[in-house]
Amino acid sequence: MDPAGRLRRAPEHFLDPRQIADVQSGRRDFLRGAFLAAAGVAAGAARAAEGDPAILELPQHSKGLGQPVAERGYGLPSEHEKNLQRRESPGLTRVGGSSVSFTPLQGLFGIITPNGLHFERHHQGWWDIDPNSHRLMVMGLVREAKVYTMDDLMRLPAVSRMHFIECGANTGMEWGNVAVPTVQYTHGMLSCCEFTGVKLSTLLDDCGFDRKNGKFVLAEGADGSGLTRTLAMERALDDVMVAWAMNGEMLRPENGYPLRLVAPGIQGVSWVKWLRRIEVGDQPWATKDETLHYVDLMPDGMLRQYSSIQECKSVITTPSGGQTLLDRGFQNVTGLAWSGRGKVKRVDVSFDGGRNWRTARLESPVLTKCLTRFNIDWVWDGRPAILQSRAMDETGYVQPKINQLRAVRGRRSIYHNNAIQSWRVGEAGDVSNVQVY
Amino acid sequence: MFRFTEKTVSGTVSWGKLSLTPFLFLVVPAFAGTYPGVGRPATPAEIAAWDIDVRPDFKGLPPGSGSVAQGQKIWDAKCAFCHGTFGESNEVFTPLVGGTTAEDIKTGRVASLTKPEVARSTLMKLSTVSTLWDYVRRAMPWNAPKSLTTDEVYAVVAYLLNLGDILPDDFVLSDRNIAEVQARLPNRNGMTRNHGLWEVKGKPDVVNAPCMKDCTPEVKVGSEIPEHARNDHPGNASRRSRW
Repeated sequence: MDPAGRLRRAPEHFLDPRQIADVQSGRRDFLRGAFLAAAGVAAGAARAAEGDPAILELPQHSKGLGQPVAERGYGLPSEHEKNLQRRESPGLTRVGGSSVSFTPLQGLFGIITPNGLHFERHHQGWWDIDPNSHRLMVMGLVREAKVYTMDDLMRLPAVSRMHFIECGANTGMEWGNVAVPTVQYTHGMLSCCEFTGVKLSTLLDDCGFDRKNGKFVLAEGADGSGLTRTLAMERALDDVMVAWAMNGEMLRPENGYPLRLVAPGIQGVSWVKWLRRIEVGDQPWATKDETLHYVDLMPDGMLRQYSSIQECKSVITTPSGGQTLLDRGFQNVTGLAWSGRGKVKRVDVSFDGGRNWRTARLESPVLTKCLTRFNIDWVWDGRPAILQSRAMDETGYVQPKINQLRAVRGRRSIYHNNAIQSWRVGEAGDVSNVQVY
Repeated sequence: MFRFTEKTVSGTVSWGKLSLTPFLFLVVPAFAGTYPGVGRPATPAEIAAWDIDVRPDFKGLPPGSGSVAQGQKIWDAKCAFCHGTFGESNEVFTPLVGGTTAEDIKTGRVASLTKPEVARSTLMKLSTVSTLWDYVRRAMPWNAPKSLTTDEVYAVVAYLLNLGDILPDDFVLSDRNIAEVQARLPNRNGMTRNHGLWEVKGKPDVVNAPCMKDCTPEVKVGSEIPEHARNDHPGNASRRSRW
């Protein structure tokens, strides 16, 4: 139960007043006391002077026989990782079938999101569709409208690409003010997978799409909402995929099994799940999710339609809101950066609220329209600090401050908030969500 | 053989000017796609079954009609439970009706969209009536989507627009007059594509500078997490930590 390092990694956890008082009185090791109590081994306490009971007293797993192979036909995370869950944000939505669950970014490593922790957004509930009866139809301005079975699609030339997917409303709750406590809720409508499928251009070519008049593509889901989104043909022919796999296995039902659209760099709603139909047309469709939702309200009352690109953004995931630094001294500060317009070029980190910056190390691979992991060394001196990360992409675009965005878009948009995130470290080591102007 | 039969059938009926007799089809296979043997032509019945989208120019809108009065009956039976008797409910979903005025119908811009105190309703944002028609047909009612007949969809759309004082009580909405209804939508002029987030090469709204040293004279915390919100999310202290 004790934190392995000197950082309390609770997904969401703020100190209560008594704990803060403990820390402020110099008792930064209060958790250790809690650990000893929890261990409940009187002998352990007695022998504490000799050393760590975890070393001195051989545990059962060193003295007995473990589990056999194939005990679990499909492996599961450790029992000790049970608290790492995708979760709903209380009060955000009122119907589970049209809601969001957020990825616990604070507990993940590298850039790949485990399939069971990929964020969810359903518009009318999810289904586990029988792939044998699933069909994809490509029609509209094509020489030949065609129907493909899953077997058909999987015979076509396949590609595998790593890309992030981010909901257009990610960080949307923070347009007005700070609203949620942890990175799971500020940035957790974000995931990243290696997707395998066939390029949409392959299917459009196979059907002989009308290159002169075919300016737009409609993608439609097979779920109750029949979710539909328009893509410009230029996008569709670039890097959009029709995918059946994520991270080496078939898609999860919550993520569109057996077939979904992958639209790199574009907000998640366009990645139509349970994909059943592609239509080629000469005009956009102005569907419900591109007219009534996923439109950006501007200060003059105009709504921006077809706002789609997820601009360059980053966030520090450790330390982040709800975590607690237990000691002064060295910390590895880590986070994620991404851009819907290409590769991340650089990430700078500030420890003083944006006054001074240092450039972080980017871990490989650095791929286009994909999460990039960054790390930077930091020695915490015990004084209050404000941590920020600022990403730059290969177009030269630099992630903006929240007040820069608000100067153009106001405070009432829901979508496309890619502002710099600030985490304040208090004297007690508690990390909380703030906005710095 | 089965596949071949399928191809012959659809090859003769679905191609317009490329339609060929079965004999010619066998001798001169027409467009065979890039990947021979993968996929098959869609039949007209299959396309009709799935091609349900309706565009702003009303391409795809099936002929039919429905009155406000008919719509009220369907509404009370199948819609009011979630959306409220007057489409005003904020209980299950955000309100459909409210915030629009007669003046908005004249200007085509909903004035209350600039007012933070007014909750954004569906009719405040709706710029194309096709959007409403298409969505009701494909996704409503919530627990039985795609179950309404074409005339029922017309009726429900008519009633919803009547609740918003956009259509009169005696109105009968049809494919023949829906363009006139479009011209009355309160927010028909309230949508713009003039922004940089549609194209990858679009121009960003703001340009930040990658300043590295002495960037801001004063660091001002403008907003912080309210005390009450610190522990109101799942996974907090009472449920303990990852380790």
